[in-house]
Amino acid sequence: MKAISIGLVNVKRMIRERSNIFFVFIFPIALVLLIGVQFGGGFAPVVGVHQSDDGQLSEAIVSSLQDDDSIDVRVFETRNELTTGVEEGSVQAGVLLPGGMDDTAAAGDSVEIGFMARTDGTGGQLQSIVGAALSEIMAPVGAAQFASQETGAPFSDALEAAAGMSRQTSPIQVEVSSTGEATFPDTLGQFDLGASSQLVLFVFLTAMAGSSALILTRQLGISKRMLSTPTPVRTIVAGESLGRFSTAIVQGIYIMVLTLVIFSVNWGDPLGAVLILVAFSAVGAGAGMLLGSTFSNDQQAGGVAVMIALGLAALGGAMFPLDLFSPTMQKVAHITPHAWAIDGYAELVRRGGTVIDILPELGVLVLYASVLLALATWRLRVAITRP
Amino acid sequence: MGSASRIAGKDLKLRMRDRSVFILGILAPLVLAYIFYLVFGPAATGQGLSLAYGAVDEDGSDISSAFLSVLENAESEGVLELQTFTGPTEAAAALDAGDIDAYFLLPAGLQQAVFTNQETTIDVVGDVDQPTSTQIAASFAEQFSSGVGASQAAVAATASIAGVPVTPQFISSLSADPAAAGMSFTLVDQTADTKQLDAPTYFAAGMAVFFLFFTVQFGVNGLLEEEREGTLARLMAAPITRSAVIAGKGILAFLLGVISMTVLIVATTLLMEANWGAPLGVALLVMAGVLSAVGIMGLVASVAKTPEGAGNLGSIIAVILGMLGGTFFPIASSGGILTSLTYLTPHAWFMRGLASLSSGAPWTAALPSVGAILIFALVTGTIAFISLRRRLTR
Repeated sequence: MKAISIGLVNVKRMIRERSNIFFVFIFPIALVLLIGVQFGGGFAPVVGVHQSDDGQLSEAIVSSLQDDDSIDVRVFETRNELTTGVEEGSVQAGVLLPGGMDDTAAAGDSVEIGFMARTDGTGGQLQSIVGAALSEIMAPVGAAQFASQETGAPFSDALEAAAGMSRQTSPIQVEVSSTGEATFPDTLGQFDLGASSQLVLFVFLTAMAGSSALILTRQLGISKRMLSTPTPVRTIVAGESLGRFSTAIVQGIYIMVLTLVIFSVNWGDPLGAVLILVAFSAVGAGAGMLLGSTFSNDQQAGGVAVMIALGLAALGGAMFPLDLFSPTMQKVAHITPHAWAIDGYAELVRRGGTVIDILPELGVLVLYASVLLALATWRLRVAITRP
Repeated sequence: MGSASRIAGKDLKLRMRDRSVFILGILAPLVLAYIFYLVFGPAATGQGLSLAYGAVDEDGSDISSAFLSVLENAESEGVLELQTFTGPTEAAAALDAGDIDAYFLLPAGLQQAVFTNQETTIDVVGDVDQPTSTQIAASFAEQFSSGVGASQAAVAATASIAGVPVTPQFISSLSADPAAAGMSFTLVDQTADTKQLDAPTYFAAGMAVFFLFFTVQFGVNGLLEEEREGTLARLMAAPITRSAVIAGKGILAFLLGVISMTVLIVATTLLMEANWGAPLGVALLVMAGVLSAVGIMGLVASVAKTPEGAGNLGSIIAVILGMLGGTFFPIASSGGILTSLTYLTPHAWFMRGLASLSSGAPWTAALPSVGAILIFALVTGTIAFISLRRRLTR
């Protein structure tokens, strides 16, 4: 019972601290929103377009590019803005439509369209996508130029004839299909990927940051005073562990419920989702306790906590999808508990798994938690009984 | 100024003995920059996709080999890699194994269909996880199809204007090759410089400026610590002006920031091969960046009641500005309202300034960004100084 009250005091202390309200409750949700808005919509390359005038051809090209599903189009007002956009990387490539294209085409000349891409990006390869969109629009123009030269008929008449023809004569269709199992299926919601990785990141971060609370408890002599009461060391250690563990759980449940309500994030099988959270919170509690009993300066522990928590989160795939890691980095990632928790959520969310399917991940997390908690218990026992 | 620098010197000694500054100011940014670079590096550099395509030519005709030669030309320009397969089964196996991103299937009877004006299909089968590569593959086929369509339309339009049917004799009577109809435009390459940081520099700079705002807090918040511990009252009793006390803490914060940034720049250049750019430009950016951090954290200290309060509020501000400023992932490039918001942070200007120095630009290229950062520093620094002075009077 005493262990539980020590744990509860810890949760209360966390919630009362005003800056924690930001880091524990506001910031994770803001980040899920930011990442969902930023990256949830997919990674279609962006092509910038600048029109020197609004002639017919120019307009037709822009709308044809906009209809292309494989690229996003941003229209720039000036040529300089387009150049800057390409140079700074806000668009991957730029298309510069010259003025007077209609007249150039009517005169039978080849229209020169500027294409801008940096040498180091994907931009150069977008040239073929742009080229395909252009060649569709320009096909009747080329046909009309040819007919007008052959027959001597005015370009406008030839264009009328050609426009009618090219609609009928499209002999080769291109059909695109995809095979294989999608890493990120279409059913995956805009916020789904971000939500589980932010959960893992923040639960661990909060548990690690809790190490400074543990150090303060020791610095202020609270541990010593508890020891002077008829409370065995193991109860104090259990209570402090419970404190770290419950703060992690409180935050985890909060993130789950709120993202479910606000962003309708799919967490998969609820029992499985909560079990991963419980196991992972235990890992975080163990790590936080170990840090809090190893350091005796709360500022140092705070810095190390941020470094370890963010570093492990990045390595473990909580900032960037594990699926996109290289094979070597995937192996490295699975040294962190984060990767196992994220794998577990992926199993539940993307493949509709149940508790049975995530048993391996849960097993690894429980193993992490036991080792860390055992080490932390031993270190804390030494730290609070030291004279 | 003498007493201000004495105060700063004393505090600098104190801070150097405490390992906290070292952990937050140098170790954490260095370790995180390296991990981020390892994890995100390949994705963030935007190295072009390596396009690997397969082709199955079941037609073996002039038209199918014309298409293959388009692909071979692209291959010789280094745009893609092409493998030919004897049948769809082999190509599908290579796709499954991940050897190619997509393959083209040129069906038997392709040329026959084109000549008799019947519909036919080029299939592009791609890896579901390589949508962009698949789309690029499709665009090669579409461009080819448009070209064929254009030359057919050219012949048909000429015939209809001349009022004759399309016959082999008519086609051979044409003075030019109808294939020219597909070339009514050319894409002209325009050069564009790179004004974006490479991956190691991006993560090194992002983490350095992110943690800078925590580092300067060790200097600025010293004022609040002295206030709580009662040493401030003793300082005030000595013949030292209030401005000198505040300036002392400001100088300390500035020194801590400059030292940590310098160490980080040297370390990331040696360890991660980061390219920070023209030294003078980088130095100006760093000094302006540190000043803005001192100003903003001074402002935080002036409104906080306790050192802990200042530390907590400072962390919140540092994290928000850092995230918004694109130190963790680039926000500026995505467009939209977030892009406008990002320039409300000195972080974004710092990163932008460094980017403008990339690809060997002279140091003057950083000046606009330095100016923008100095505005942050001046505004927040002045307000912080005035309100801290008022606080010391009480």
